[in-house]
Amino acid sequence: MSNRFDDCRLTALEEQAYAEAREHFAEHLKQFLVSREAVERLERNIAKTALAANMAASKPTPKENIIPVDGSGQWHKNVDLMDNICLCHRPITGGAEYAVVEHSPARGTNEIWNRGWNAVEVLKAFAQEQRRALQIWTEDLTAQVKEFLVEKYHGQDMSRAANSFMHRFTHAVSQQHSQSHEQNHSRGVRI
Amino acid sequence: MENIPKIEEPSTTTERLAYSVQESADLLGVNYFSVYRLIQRGKLKVCRALRGKLLVPRSELLKLLETE
Repeated sequence: MSNRFDDCRLTALEEQAYAEAREHFAEHLKQFLVSREAVERLERNIAKTALAANMAASKPTPKENIIPVDGSGQWHKNVDLMDNICLCHRPITGGAEYAVVEHSPARGTNEIWNRGWNAVEVLKAFAQEQRRALQIWTEDLTAQVKEFLVEKYHGQDMSRAANSFMHRFTHAVSQQHSQSHEQNHSRGVRI
Repeated sequence: MENIPKIEEPSTTTERLAYSVQESADLLGVNYFSVYRLIQRGKLKVCRALRGKLLVPRSELLKLLETE
């Protein structure tokens, strides 16, 4: 059962704790926003990316786009998804096989994340994995914020400030996303 | 003021056993998300501290660099 006092405004001390947490984890929040936006962009463009991959798979690939993949022969670089991660394909009898491949700049090798016969399914599986990584990040950040506040405000319950921090943060992110989505949508409306 | 000789603390010479995700990212020279992705894929084994904060054992970072 939720406590009705959870909805109360933060006290001055809790507000201060919240502001300190925000400052302390500024780099975290900055990087999280960028990463989450990249994942959302990937999710929004799955159909478009898969179509581009299908079209590319039906054409000959330039030599420079053929890359060796660890233990899996040669693949044709197709569409860039994220930094050092791209969608690849290789011709098979009666069609093409698709794979999300990550390039490691440190050792110059390429490794498969996931693969399959259907580009949409391969992209969906990859996007789900990115979502899970973001979820791990959110859980870790929550724990770190709580630890930070416990150490800074020893003996005082700052759980409301910690919860408020994570709530306001995730809310701000989703609000930002819905605003940009609305803007994109309204651009397509002709008056 | 009395001149107290400094005693070298063991912590200055002892290597840490584990790092936070942020410290690991800095050590590896990658962004935070790359480390969380490695964790999600099971390429980097982590443990949880008391409040659930993730800790990356030093041995795991070294193992990753060896395979890298």
